[in-house]
Amino acid sequence: MFKAALHSGSGKPRRRATVSSPHKPAGRKLLEWRGRIDQHFGYGSSEASRSLYLEDGGQYAALLQAELEQPVSLGTTIIAASYAGGVVLGADSRTTTGNYIANRVTDKITPLAENVYICRSGSAADTQAISAYVQWFLQQHAVDLDRHVSVKTAAKLAQTMVYQNKNMLQAGLIIAGWDKQGGGSVHTVPLGGTLLQVPYSIGGSGSAYITGLCDKLWRPHMTQQECHEFVVKAVTHAMARDGSSGGCIRTVTISKDGVKRDFLPHTRVPIAYGEMQQPMSVGA
Amino acid sequence: MSGIGTGYDLSVSTFSPDGRVFQTAYAQKAVDNGGTVVGIRCKDGVVLGVEKPVASKMLVGGSNRSTYPINQQTGMGIAGVSADGRQIVNRAMQEATQYKGFYGEVIPGYVLSERIASYVHLFNLYWYVRPFGAALLMASYDSEGPQLYLIEPGGTAHRYFGTAIGKGRQSAKTDIEKLKLTELSCRQGVVEVAKILHTVHDEEKPFELELAWICDESNKEFKRVPADLAAEAEQQAKAALDEDMDS
Amino acid sequence: MTAGFQFDLCNRNRLLESKGVQGASVTKTGTTIAGLVFKDGVVLGADTRSTSGSTVADKNCEKIHFIAPNIYCCGAGTAADTENVTGMISSSLDLHRYATGRESRVVTAMTMLKSHLFRYQGYVSAALVLGGVDFRGPHLFTVYPHGSTDALPFCTMGSGSLNAMAVFEAGYKDDLTREEAVELVANAIKAGIYNDLGSGSNVDICVITKGKVDYLRNHEYLQNKTYQRRHPVTYGKGTTKVTKEKIIPLSELTIQDGDATAMDTS
Repeated sequence: MFKAALHSGSGKPRRRATVSSPHKPAGRKLLEWRGRIDQHFGYGSSEASRSLYLEDGGQYAALLQAELEQPVSLGTTIIAASYAGGVVLGADSRTTTGNYIANRVTDKITPLAENVYICRSGSAADTQAISAYVQWFLQQHAVDLDRHVSVKTAAKLAQTMVYQNKNMLQAGLIIAGWDKQGGGSVHTVPLGGTLLQVPYSIGGSGSAYITGLCDKLWRPHMTQQECHEFVVKAVTHAMARDGSSGGCIRTVTISKDGVKRDFLPHTRVPIAYGEMQQPMSVGA
Repeated sequence: MSGIGTGYDLSVSTFSPDGRVFQTAYAQKAVDNGGTVVGIRCKDGVVLGVEKPVASKMLVGGSNRSTYPINQQTGMGIAGVSADGRQIVNRAMQEATQYKGFYGEVIPGYVLSERIASYVHLFNLYWYVRPFGAALLMASYDSEGPQLYLIEPGGTAHRYFGTAIGKGRQSAKTDIEKLKLTELSCRQGVVEVAKILHTVHDEEKPFELELAWICDESNKEFKRVPADLAAEAEQQAKAALDEDMDS
Repeated sequence: MTAGFQFDLCNRNRLLESKGVQGASVTKTGTTIAGLVFKDGVVLGADTRSTSGSTVADKNCEKIHFIAPNIYCCGAGTAADTENVTGMISSSLDLHRYATGRESRVVTAMTMLKSHLFRYQGYVSAALVLGGVDFRGPHLFTVYPHGSTDALPFCTMGSGSLNAMAVFEAGYKDDLTREEAVELVANAIKAGIYNDLGSGSNVDICVITKGKVDYLRNHEYLQNKTYQRRHPVTYGKGTTKVTKEKIIPLSELTIQDGDATAMDTS
C-alpha cells in the first residue's frame, strides 16, 4: 500500500506538496502526502511530522521500518569465464534491502586465497560468512601444503558449507581461479549445494536475462582480452534489463601471471539498447 | 641392551636415565627381525619388494598379503608384524578418504606420510598402549612426481630415494646405493629389487617375493607387478645369483 | 563434520516462536544515523529520538556508542540490542587491548559485531554505522542485523537513512575538511529529523581523528521548548494584597500537658 501511494503521488504536480497545513485529515491520502514530503528536499516542520506520526498510528513508520529490515541481499549479476590460460570474474555492484540500494559500489568478487576468487550472490550476510570461513580453511590448508591451494579445493569447501547448511543459507556462488594442476577453472555452487565445474558460469537475478547472449558469445580458447570483453558485455546487458543489478562493473582476471582487478564506473558502462547517453558531468 | 632389568623398559611413558624409550626401541627390533622390504624410486615411478618367509609347505601361495593400495595413487608395503601393519594401512585408507571428502582432491604423499606418522606416534605416548611392531614403505605418485616414504614405529616419516628395512636391510641398502636411480626405469627396477632380495635372503629357507609398483606403465596406479614380469624378474635374479656364485 | 556454522540459538528461538512464545515488545530507535570519512578522520552523526510504537519514549537519547577510545558506533534498530551488542564488543575489545597492549582496530570491532549478529540470524536487531581511526587510517563500516557489512566512504542507516543519503549523495566530496564534514553530517541527520517520522529531536556528532575524539553531544539542539518553565517558582513581595496583620509572639505561648484519653475501640 505504501509503495502504491508513493507512486500515485508522483503523478501530481510536485510544487503543491507544501508542508504548510499539518492538520490534514488522516487516512490513505496521508501516506501519499508523506511520500511527497520525502521527495521534497527542503525541511518540513517537525511538528507536522509528529502529528502525522500520531494520526496514522505509526503505520508509515512501521512500513518504512519493515522495508529497511529486509535482509540485505545481492540481487545480482555475477559471471566467471575461463579462457586460454586463466579466468575472468565479473559482477555488478548493487546491494539491496527490499527496494532500497544499500550499497551502490559493492565488491561482490571476494578473494578466498591468493589465486582463487569467489563471486557472491544471494544474502550478503550469508555469503560474507561463507567466504570468511572458506578463507580461514584455505589459509590453514595452504600452510599444510606449503604451496598454493587448488581452485577445486576452494570450491569443494564452499560447496560443503552451502550443502551442509542448506536450510539456513541463501547463497549462489561462483568460484574461479588459477592453479598449477588445473590451470584456469570455473566452479559453480548453486542454491542447493551441488558443485559443478564448467567452462563459464553466470549467476544472480540478472543472469536470467543473458543466458542466450552468453551461450552465443562464449567460445573456448579466447584470449584474455576477448574474455574480458565477453564478461563486461554480459554484465552490461544484465544490468540493463535487471532492476536488481546495476551500478558499476568490477572484474578480476586470474592467470599464471597473477591477479588483476578492473573497475568500470557507471559513467563508462557501455550503452545498451534503449538507454540514453550518460550526460557529461563536470570533471568527468 | 643395557637397561634391561632396570624396569625402564616396561612402559612407553617413561624415559630411561640415558634418554631412551625402550619400548619404542623394541618395536623397531620387531621390524628389524622381520622379512626384508625394499623400496626404490626410479625415474618413472616407485617399486616395492617384500620378502615373505614361507612358514609351512602347506601354505597356499599369495596368501597373507604385504602390499596394499591406499588409494589410486598411493600404496604401502608392510615390514615387521603384518597384523600391526594392516592397522596402519586401514588408518591410511581412512585418512585418504577423509581428505578427499573434505578438500575434493587426492591427498598428497607427504601429507599422508605425516598424518600416518602422527597416528603411529600416538602409540608411543600412553602407558596403556604398545607401539606398532611394523614399519611401512609408502609409494605414491602425484602431481609432484613419484615419492617413497618410510614410516617407523617411533612415529618418524622420512622420504627416500631408496631404502630397505628388515633382516637384510644392511646389505640391501648397500646394493641400492650402487643403483643409478635417476636413470633406472621401473621395469628395470623390478629386476634390481628382485636381485637384491634374492641376494640378501638366507639360502635354506623358502620365501615368496611380493612385488608392487606405481609408475607410468601402471597408469600411475599402485598395482602388483604383472605376473609375467615378476616371474621374469625372479628368473633373472636367480640367474644373476648363480652367476655370482660361479664366479 | 558440520563446517564452522552454529545455528542452535536461532533454531531454539524459532522453536519457541512456533510454540507460541511471544517475544517482548521492544523500544525501537526509528532512527537516522550516518557516517562519513573526511580528510583526517571519521565523522559520525545521529538523531536523538527513541520511540516505542508510536510514542516518543526518549526525546534526547544517545545513539553514538563508545566501542574503544578510537572507535565509536551509531546504532539503529532495537535500542536494547544496539546498546548491549556495542557494550559487549566494547568490553571484549577492552580485554583484547589489555592482552595485546595495542590499540584496537576498527576491522576487529567490525568482525566481532558481524559474527555475533550472523550467529543470531537477524534476531539481534542492530543496524550499525561503525567508525574509527587506527594505525591504518580512518575506517567506516555499516553492519546490518543479519551480519553483512559494507566498507564505504559515506553511509547512512535507520528509517531516516534515505533522507540522509540524499544529502550525502548531493554533498559528498573526497577529502572534506573537518568543518565541512561536520556540517554535511549534521545536515544529513537534520534531513532525517525533519522528514522521517521515526527520527527527531537533536543532532549528536562524533568526530574521530588520529589520537583524538570530539563527542559533540547535542551539537545542534533543535527541539527547544517554546516556553521554559521557571524553577523554583518565586512570587515577589506584594503579589497578594495584605488586608490585615496580626503578630503572635511565640514566647507568649504556653504548652499544656493533658491526660491522654484511650481510643474507643469497641
